[in-house]
Amino acid sequence: MTMDELDPVIHASARLKITATLATLPVGDQIAFPRLQELLGMTAGNLSTHLRKLEDAGYVDVVKSHQGRTPATYLALSRSGRRAFEDYLEALRALLGESA
Amino acid sequence: MNNNTTDADEPLGDPRAMLALLEGQQREVLNAQQAPVIWMYFIWGITWFVGFLALWSGDVDGNPWFTLPAAVATPVFIVMLVASIVASAVLGIRINRGVRGISTFSGAVYGLSWSVCGTAFAMVGVGLIRQGLSPELANLYFPSAYALMCGTIYLGGAALWRDVSQLVLGLVLLAAGAIAPFFGSPGNDLVLAVLVGGAFLIAAAALMVRRRQGR
Repeated sequence: MTMDELDPVIHASARLKITATLATLPVGDQIAFPRLQELLGMTAGNLSTHLRKLEDAGYVDVVKSHQGRTPATYLALSRSGRRAFEDYLEALRALLGESA
Repeated sequence: MNNNTTDADEPLGDPRAMLALLEGQQREVLNAQQAPVIWMYFIWGITWFVGFLALWSGDVDGNPWFTLPAAVATPVFIVMLVASIVASAVLGIRINRGVRGISTFSGAVYGLSWSVCGTAFAMVGVGLIRQGLSPELANLYFPSAYALMCGTIYLGGAALWRDVSQLVLGLVLLAAGAIAPFFGSPGNDLVLAVLVGGAFLIAAAALMVRRRQGR
């Protein structure tokens, strides 16, 4: 295992934090965009940019709905996103085990 | 929250730094969820401790050092109880705010169980009083009934969220509620104040210490 083999979609600080946060949700739960933003301390624009990359990779499911008249966006890791995060974590630990 | 976000899209080189970033962020999320729980334990710790000490001190056979007038002891207890229920409802909603999905049902049932069980236990008490239960025995029934109810619901919460603090509190509440009547009235109030109030305050302190150590 080398650094180059780490999933490039997750291996960037902002997206790593996003996936790590979404991974704390139980399977079947979704989190509202503003709450995710609050937990990450990121700007809305920055979060949207990285979420789009994760969505394009098929790692994040984006559900747009309405709460009354207000549009609401809910997010969750997709099945492949959760698997990719777990693989990434495992790879990181393996890498550290090798280098230790 | 965590404002030292690196917005750059470039990958970071050091795997140790990445792992620390990942684990740090997950700890932040856990801490954000736990903060209202610590407040809840603290508030209920004060209510059980001070509220039941007030009831114990409001009885001439209770506190040997001083006696509170009944016009003070009972309102102190009721005001603290109502304030804690309101605070719990507000804090409880904040724990999982912004999250929907599979856990919504569990959370709703858990939240509902407090009001439904609370009403059911109150009705049993009122029914017993109507059937001739004396005020002395009612003073034994109500505190224990609510300690047993809280203990049972805490065990449910522990099972739902695999939470050890709720498991320990649930067991303490059940034990305290079960043994309190053996001390008679108002001795039962002192038992509940010390055991339950103490357990909640210790749980709040323990979670706070663990949270600080985790940072």
